[in-house]
Amino acid sequence: MLRKASSAQPSVGLSGCGALSHVYIQHPPLRVSIPGSRALFYDDGNKLLLSIISDQVFAWKTVPPVLFDAPTSDSIGEGPVLSIRYSLDAKVIGIQRSNLEIEFRNRYTGEAFIHKCKSESENILGFFWTDCPSCDVIFVKTSGLDLFAYGPDCKALRLVETKRLNVSWYIYTHESRLVLLASGMQCKSFIGFQFSSGGITRLPRFEMAIAKAEANEKPVLAAEDVHIVTMYGRRYCLQVDRIAMLLHLYRFYRDAVVQQGSLPIYSSKIAVSVIDNVLLVHQVDANVVLLYDIFSDSRTPISAPLPLLLRGFTGANTSSSRSNSRDTVHLEISNMSDHEGIIYGDGWTFLIPDLICDAAHGALWRIHLDLEAIAASNSEVLSVLEFLQRRRLEASKAKQLCLAIARTIILERRPIPIVARAIDVLITSFSRSIKMGNTLLGRMVGRETTSTSGIQHVNSYRTRADDSLTRNARHGKSMHESAAASRVDEEPQQSRRTRTGENESLDLTTVLTVNRKSTSLVLDSEENVGPELMKISLGVPLEKSQSNNLHFLGTKECMGAETSSVEVEQSTLQPQVLRPSGTPLKSDVSEQQESQVASPEISPDEMCSFVFAPVEEEMTGDPSYLVAIIVKYFHSAALEKLKVHPNLNVLTIKLLARSERYVELGLFIINKILEPSKEVALQLLESGHHNIQTRKFGMDMLRQLSLHHDYVLLLLQDGYYLGALRYARKNQVNTIQPSLFLKEAFVSSDSQHLAAVLRFFSDFIPGFRNTSDYSTYYRILSEMSSPVAA
Amino acid sequence: MGLASTTTGSEGIQFCIFDLKRGQEEGQELDKILFFFPTDLPFSTQLSVIGLSEGLITFTRIFSPEAACEVIEAERHSHVFYQAEPDIWMVMVVEKNKEAEAIWRIGALQQVLKEVHSLFMMFHGSIRALLEKEPGGGLARSHLYFFVMDYLTDFLSGKKLQLPSFRDCLKERGTVQMLTVGREAAIEVQSLVRVVESACAGNAACSSLVLFQDLLVSTTLSPDDTVNLFAYAILRLTPLALSSGSSSWSYLRKGSPASLITTGFIPGNSVSVTEPTYTSRDTSPGRQGQRYHVPRPLQRDKWSKGKDGFLVLETSGAEVGGLNSSTPTVWLRQTDERMYLCVFQQKNLTIILLIPVSSMINGEQGISMVKRQILENASLKILKVDEKLSRGWGGENAYHVRGYRYLLFDGDRNVSRASPPGKVTTLSKDSLLSLNRLREEVDLEKNRARHDDPSHEKDLEVCIRAKNNAWVIARVTRGKELYMVLEKANETLLYASDAVEKFSNRYCNGAFSLD
Repeated sequence: MLRKASSAQPSVGLSGCGALSHVYIQHPPLRVSIPGSRALFYDDGNKLLLSIISDQVFAWKTVPPVLFDAPTSDSIGEGPVLSIRYSLDAKVIGIQRSNLEIEFRNRYTGEAFIHKCKSESENILGFFWTDCPSCDVIFVKTSGLDLFAYGPDCKALRLVETKRLNVSWYIYTHESRLVLLASGMQCKSFIGFQFSSGGITRLPRFEMAIAKAEANEKPVLAAEDVHIVTMYGRRYCLQVDRIAMLLHLYRFYRDAVVQQGSLPIYSSKIAVSVIDNVLLVHQVDANVVLLYDIFSDSRTPISAPLPLLLRGFTGANTSSSRSNSRDTVHLEISNMSDHEGIIYGDGWTFLIPDLICDAAHGALWRIHLDLEAIAASNSEVLSVLEFLQRRRLEASKAKQLCLAIARTIILERRPIPIVARAIDVLITSFSRSIKMGNTLLGRMVGRETTSTSGIQHVNSYRTRADDSLTRNARHGKSMHESAAASRVDEEPQQSRRTRTGENESLDLTTVLTVNRKSTSLVLDSEENVGPELMKISLGVPLEKSQSNNLHFLGTKECMGAETSSVEVEQSTLQPQVLRPSGTPLKSDVSEQQESQVASPEISPDEMCSFVFAPVEEEMTGDPSYLVAIIVKYFHSAALEKLKVHPNLNVLTIKLLARSERYVELGLFIINKILEPSKEVALQLLESGHHNIQTRKFGMDMLRQLSLHHDYVLLLLQDGYYLGALRYARKNQVNTIQPSLFLKEAFVSSDSQHLAAVLRFFSDFIPGFRNTSDYSTYYRILSEMSSPVAA
Repeated sequence: MGLASTTTGSEGIQFCIFDLKRGQEEGQELDKILFFFPTDLPFSTQLSVIGLSEGLITFTRIFSPEAACEVIEAERHSHVFYQAEPDIWMVMVVEKNKEAEAIWRIGALQQVLKEVHSLFMMFHGSIRALLEKEPGGGLARSHLYFFVMDYLTDFLSGKKLQLPSFRDCLKERGTVQMLTVGREAAIEVQSLVRVVESACAGNAACSSLVLFQDLLVSTTLSPDDTVNLFAYAILRLTPLALSSGSSSWSYLRKGSPASLITTGFIPGNSVSVTEPTYTSRDTSPGRQGQRYHVPRPLQRDKWSKGKDGFLVLETSGAEVGGLNSSTPTVWLRQTDERMYLCVFQQKNLTIILLIPVSSMINGEQGISMVKRQILENASLKILKVDEKLSRGWGGENAYHVRGYRYLLFDGDRNVSRASPPGKVTTLSKDSLLSLNRLREEVDLEKNRARHDDPSHEKDLEVCIRAKNNAWVIARVTRGKELYMVLEKANETLLYASDAVEKFSNRYCNGAFSLD
């Protein structure tokens, strides 16, 4: 029933399934089937899958990895349920009972009240909770929007604002905080509002394009044809045009909606998912998925159309031992019906961004990208690397793949220009992340990646923790408000605009790669609130039409004892939850370190130890190819002003020395292509065993690095004891035993020199005359000179 | 116009190459002679010069079998010896004449002999190999004749041969002058080098040299080969060398592109006695050249820049047959491999690419493919490098240091740097003479030390206050040498020593800072 997040799970073994696909769903799905279930709802604000059974609502957390415990349940009383949503602090459940009434129940006190429409002429189309500062819940009605603030103590909703509009239907996702209201004959005229913690933003009215089928027939746009998706922090609206067989792409800017091209579709039924900023267009009739990376201007699919794959279905027992252990807990896994394995079954509902709900079987699937398969199926190394570098969800996998690709193309001795461009991709990607890491914006990005890395432990607490997170968010909000206080007094339209900018920038925090070209961004403290909170929330009411038929039955019932257990857990978990979102405010350093681990960008260190070092070990033959690659790497790194890891310098010296290209090595040293360091100097000395010039470079480098002790020792070793003495005197090197100098002088059997060295120490080291060194060498000296005297 | 025919006696320079193994028998002494300059000297004179040299070599070998005599200083002449190959000797006889500024440094003259032989080897292989190929000696003689004469042409100053004299004591022949580049530019250059070298398809081990104007920027050759190719490039390939008539600032080469080779004259070293084939009308090396199709890579004004930026060597004898390739080839000393010499030039940059002949199965066709590859892959990079280097380039006087006239010489790397010639000429004759003298002494001292203990390098420091009150300074430390002249300097030794220290710290990374 519960799946572990495969994002963090090594799925390398699973890729051996062999089936051709680029996206897959992993068996077993999240099971939500409970006998007697009336309907399933998805609460995207809290990422809960809700099932109504008589007067109970059962809630399953959909954020991986879901804990193995049973769903929480709340009593909601009898009556029809058109839609149901938990408040963002999970204290209140909102239940739409009819198109006129919405019931609100406090989960802890069991208190409930029903909010009714005043006029019979207007229908409630739906409602959603918001973290907007001025209101808590928003009703979408045929006559417009009603913004309410919720007061738990006053047990009623307080109307904050009403926006009068004609609404045919609406779509909303919590992920984007965006509600699109359709109006007009063809329902193609739209008005959008964004209710984010930064405030309310009104988007300009815009029209969607629909091709005409015949002269007099005007197709009407349906809610299923429009999808709000978020990719790379940018808000898009996707609109299916069945007549033209096109999927139109609109991008929301803060003050404009711009159509950004169209994608061809090959099926009359289209579903859309977004996984890790990759757009999946399910051509349901054709049973295939097309993948697009909207980041680049290219509107061509990433890879060939292939079906969605169900993984691990045939043998739940053959999969990893971990899943076996899970089997014992949830026995129903093995009882999977055959029908459940049908891809694109009739009961499938696609939940943005990446879920599929199979209402017929009570199963919830999460769609995954198979990065390995995508990488393997595409021969364009550069585009694959670029694609992988933009992945965040499975960052470590993407990184491993990038490293493997880099190693492979070098080992295969691909033409240097190709490898060069591949290196460019990796380096610019890393450099961009570093540059952004230096700005506030970058920290956001850094943290974003943290949250993905920590998705396993952070998100597991998400639903219960949302309360605290929200509180945290409110804290941030208040900070924001004070920061933006000056703006409050501005003319409303103006301030709204400013806020749109904020929202836009806020959105950016939820993403990895940021379109820095777009609009000038206003950052505020609000963004310091846990980004995943905003990222992974969305809301599509499940089976709207079905639930619309249900009748309303108002009841008030006490909350069960279960709620208290929820509360207990909440309090225990709170600190853990607070930390991940709270730390960025305090310690950015650890933050960034963490982000480096979890992002696919490859640092110079990793480039050295995971690409060049292993390649060097594996590569045979003439090292000049590898040298050429390393030079190219130096080149790219220099362009991006990145420092090269000293070990790579050492490696380069080894390679050049191995092929006896000492002249080139000399050029590399003189021109400081290999930056001076002690490691480099020592390697030069070692490689200089066969080449005196290289050894001299090493010595010169020691001297220039002021490593006086080592330098003097080397001079001594080479027998230049007088030079060593002069140097030691000049640079006050006191760490070398006089006996070493004396011994060298003695070995040279030059009595004058020995006398000079002896005299030197007698003059400059107090008490030297009393040492055994002095007496020993004084005796030797007199023995050496006695034959001359005699 | 032939200078050889007119200047014999007055010039007082004789240059001969002979083989001790040849002409051992009475009456066949002429067979020893492989080359003699001036060419029109009577055989008797030629033989007496060679006889004297041979006698001295034989005599000194008794005491020093490894290194026989290096120089004879007679009252009016100096005989400079250089054993180019086993038993093949080159001897240069120069007249001493104070008035005519004929004051020589033996080391510098030896370097000339060494250079011409190294270049000869690079293009034609060893003299011994040529002699073995054609025991009559005609092949070796004609090759030597054209090559050495073309080489000496560069020393023509007006109608006189102007060999390196004391005025050139702040120069070191047989070394490479390098451009100093920053790290970024250096990486740019290296990355260009890799692209260029990867142009030869497959796993062929190409090598390359990159020059900026007359300065070396990068090499992937061994030190010896680098020196040779660099010397050749300076003589014939760089933009300055191509625009004939203008004299290079880094090399002594004045005057007109006159040639020492005349079409009409009859060479002296006729081998008719021993080689019947030459008794016929065909005794002129000029015609021998045609007979043997001697390529003349040192002939002036034969290189020109093609439309595609690659330099083309006009080959005169090609149509006769033999070589069907117009791309010249050179022997690399390090690998003993024959390489195609492919030269690309754009603005200030000269890129010399050496492609193994063995790797080019379809010869000229393959080369044009490589050229196309370079144009396709590297032209942008070449422009970029040129731009980058030009921006950082300080012009002819970039390496001038105010107040100093210096020569910095790294014997291990065969790299030297000196004050620009224009600045050296401002020195008085006295200073130059003193430095010349000092260099002679240092040369001697170095040689002695090398004989005594080859592993241990001598440290040396000499400061001389010359007659004209200039400081003349030499410092030798661990294979590096620094010579300088400080005119108009303070009179104390401390000042001179400080000046050296400052120079060393500033320009030599403290290599000469002793105490």
